[in-house]
Amino acid sequence: MKRGKEKDLRRIMSRRGFVLAGMSIMLTSFLGARLYYLQVSQSSRYQRLSDRNQFDIRVLSPARGRLFDYKMRLVAGNAESFELRITPLYAKDLVKTLNLLATVIELSEGRKRMVIDIASKLPSFREITIRDNLSQRELARLAVRSALLPGVSFGKSLRRIYPQGALTGHVTGYVSPITRREIDLDASLGILPTIGTGKTGLEYTYERSLRGLPGREKIEVNATGRPIKVLNDVASKSGHDIQLSIDIGVQLHATERLRRGRWKTVELGSDFVQAELAENAEIQAHLAVGDDMVLRDGKGRLVPAESGAAVVMDIHTGEIISLISAPMFDPNLFTGRLLTRDWRRLTNHPRRPLLNRVTSGLYAPGSTFKMVVGLAALEAGIISEDTQFHCKGDRVLGNATFHCWRKGGHGIMNVISALEQSCDVYFYEIALKTGIQRIRDMAVRLGLGLATGINLPDEKSGIIPSHEWKLRTKGTVWTPGETLVAGIGQGYVLTTPIQLAVMTARIANGKKAIVPSLLSQANENKLNFLPLNISSTALSVIRRGMLKVMHGAFGTAKKYKLSKEYGGMAGKTGTVQVRRISMAQREKGIIKNIDRPWEERDHALFVAYAPIENPRYAISIVVEHGGSGSSTAAPIARDILAKIIAERGLI
Amino acid sequence: MSPWRIFYRVPWHVLILATLLVVVGALALYSASEGSWQPYAGRHAVRGAIGVGLVCCMAFIDLKLLHRMSYFLLASAIVVLAVLLFVGSGPNVSRWVTISGVSFQPSEPTKIAVILALARYFDNQPQDRMQSLVIYFPALIMIIVPFMLVMKQPDLGTALMLLMGGLSVVFAAGLPWRYVCGAVVAIFAALPLLWFQLHGYQKSRVITFLYPETDVLGAGYQITQSKIALGSGGLFGKGFLMGSQSQLNYLPEKQTDFVFTMIGEEFGLVGNLFILLVYLTLSMSILRISYKVQSRFSQLACVGIGMMLFFYVFVNVAMVSGLLPVVGAPLPLISYGGTSMLTVFIGFGIVTSALVHDRLED
Repeated sequence: MKRGKEKDLRRIMSRRGFVLAGMSIMLTSFLGARLYYLQVSQSSRYQRLSDRNQFDIRVLSPARGRLFDYKMRLVAGNAESFELRITPLYAKDLVKTLNLLATVIELSEGRKRMVIDIASKLPSFREITIRDNLSQRELARLAVRSALLPGVSFGKSLRRIYPQGALTGHVTGYVSPITRREIDLDASLGILPTIGTGKTGLEYTYERSLRGLPGREKIEVNATGRPIKVLNDVASKSGHDIQLSIDIGVQLHATERLRRGRWKTVELGSDFVQAELAENAEIQAHLAVGDDMVLRDGKGRLVPAESGAAVVMDIHTGEIISLISAPMFDPNLFTGRLLTRDWRRLTNHPRRPLLNRVTSGLYAPGSTFKMVVGLAALEAGIISEDTQFHCKGDRVLGNATFHCWRKGGHGIMNVISALEQSCDVYFYEIALKTGIQRIRDMAVRLGLGLATGINLPDEKSGIIPSHEWKLRTKGTVWTPGETLVAGIGQGYVLTTPIQLAVMTARIANGKKAIVPSLLSQANENKLNFLPLNISSTALSVIRRGMLKVMHGAFGTAKKYKLSKEYGGMAGKTGTVQVRRISMAQREKGIIKNIDRPWEERDHALFVAYAPIENPRYAISIVVEHGGSGSSTAAPIARDILAKIIAERGLI
Repeated sequence: MSPWRIFYRVPWHVLILATLLVVVGALALYSASEGSWQPYAGRHAVRGAIGVGLVCCMAFIDLKLLHRMSYFLLASAIVVLAVLLFVGSGPNVSRWVTISGVSFQPSEPTKIAVILALARYFDNQPQDRMQSLVIYFPALIMIIVPFMLVMKQPDLGTALMLLMGGLSVVFAAGLPWRYVCGAVVAIFAALPLLWFQLHGYQKSRVITFLYPETDVLGAGYQITQSKIALGSGGLFGKGFLMGSQSQLNYLPEKQTDFVFTMIGEEFGLVGNLFILLVYLTLSMSILRISYKVQSRFSQLACVGIGMMLFFYVFVNVAMVSGLLPVVGAPLPLISYGGTSMLTVFIGFGIVTSALVHDRLED
């Protein structure tokens, strides 16, 4: 019986054993099916995911093209800078860490939010750049607190530097971080959020060529984001280097010279001067933006450096040797994050240092416009070299009286002596006879009234008025009185310093309508300028007039002639009223410039070319509220030309 | 009994298959440490050799000794587990016990103790009482008590295997079908209760298992990466030492719980199926031995050990392929880890002993 029962039990167990074995085989097949699904059916999908795990594509920023001066001295280059990165995996609390960082370094709310946003989209082991361009001070502050900042690390990146600083600020312009709007316009910028783009100056003009092409690096990374090896990479292509026509040596000299004007620089070191400066709020404002030139004027007062523009160009190639707009700004301020403080100081500065006066400053040309009027009259046959008019000190037209700058008048004048002494009445006469249309036509041919085409952004075209222009903009007809005023470069006429330099260069060149450029023109023969088409006899008359300005017995700038060893120069002064002089003021006697408030003083202008034989250089100078063109602007031009010719010699 | 007769009766095919798996394990661990015998592969091989030696030694132990000691073994295992709960090895974790520098997981051999105790319990029951439900209650208590203790450690994986191994013994002993069906229903009914017994991290694992995409970088990371590794392995794999997921550390726990994934990445579906087949053959061989032996104790012990091995593999593979939550279950003989390997070899030793001495009795 027992045995039978045991057999029974055995039978049950055998059956159960089969059930368990069957279950095992079934479940194993089930696992097999699952593995087939993962490893065969879904394999390509997981292969892709595996690749995404394994490889990290990094974009390599290209080095931005450098700018060199005429003698290959660095004007804009790249320096390594430190950037701050975070790995969310190791930063225990990303938000907390970022908040802590914001107390140590400058970190905007927007950037914080951006980092958190990026972190939510990337695997936690990927590094994210929090900030670039860390200063030495920030690095030190971070290093001290590194124990409190898990997951935070440093990396290197390239940063734009301008070794010449403010000296070439208006030439180079600056690079600053890419803005949202730029990315909207050019999506390719989006992949390189850390590098900047040129916003002004040559950096802006040659942005495409300077930027270069970004490279790509496929890196095998492990689960902690550590690179294992570089698999294939497309090297980034640096932007093109550019050689400028600017000569830093001349630029430095010319800047110092322009800003000094006719005054003397003050040594800031002495206690006496420091005490005096402390009381002078105007100069304090200038010192705050890093402008450390202080002058003592003719009345012994402390005044800030002069503001204005100076530009020197080669009359054959159009190459600009020096381009100065004062006051200046340091482009290095913009390459990282511009501090609000610096930005406010620059924008609130009373003399607008960010304005490039050479291309965007509009000034009435004053007497420097007389060459245009003279050429127009000569070419139209209205006058000849010998045509004479009598200057008695004023000219009556209708019921208005137009004065000559010289109270008693100049007497009998021809076009050469009128230029020499800058006789207003003579040019009133010939302007009236020539008419505004012909004057305008000549002005345009000499490069006024339209953008010169210099390779800088935001160039202003100025105004050379005409009948049609007046009707369009003012809605009234042109009057002869306006022609008369235009004859001495005032009224509606507005020009930029670069236009005046181009005008002078074209007069000196005589054959080609040269166009200014900041690039070094390696091959002169390749330059294709349009013909100027101005009668050479007319030009030679005007040039003789300009020569007399410097060398004539009555020349307005005869005191400031360039000595013979430098080849001499020919020029024209211009003193531009910024305020109308009333009859009453004229009766009382005109108040001297130096006794007026700065804003009411005349602009001092001067244009010239040198040397006299085989001219090579044209220069234009504007000293804002600098007084008279002869005493303030002419010596500046002379000294700058002397410097250039001393360096390069006479050809 | 002469040693030669014992030698002749040792189930060599079981030992050969086990050795094969240890070798596969050593190669996998060699790859897991980026092509080095240090720190895992070498020790794994040595442990495997010791394990095979242990099985040979156990061939000389009469199964009657284990039969006599089985209740005592279970009782001591329960005591150790209970004590461990109060003097844990770490905050909230009490899996390990360290005796003179050797760390040891008592929950592993508890599985064997439960199987042996159940085998002895049913060995003593007369046939006519097998239909009554009452005799199954003590057996259930023998399973539930260690199960709860291990779950409290907390070690859900081992607890589940202990439960399933024990239940297979109860099933094999002849639990009537009506109760089997009832138990299945009861287990499903108890799932919500079980849920509240789980620790926070266990709950999150289950949630992550059900919805892995909710937390790709957190708790779902392991499952996601494991599936990527398996899937990207394809049919033939990326090649030995070439698994990018494993070699670049995307795959967590690749030397222990996720070693199957690593093999899958480097040897593909072919490698995985081969290993599954070896395990299945091993389990089936042990089940087959249960038909050869005469005593009910031996039969039930063999069924229990065979099924324990199977569940080990099933839970692990189901886990790494995303069919079960990540509960923490090693792949026996391949995963690095001394205690689980020792447990499996002791199981083989019991099977060997049963085969050798059972026949000799007749």
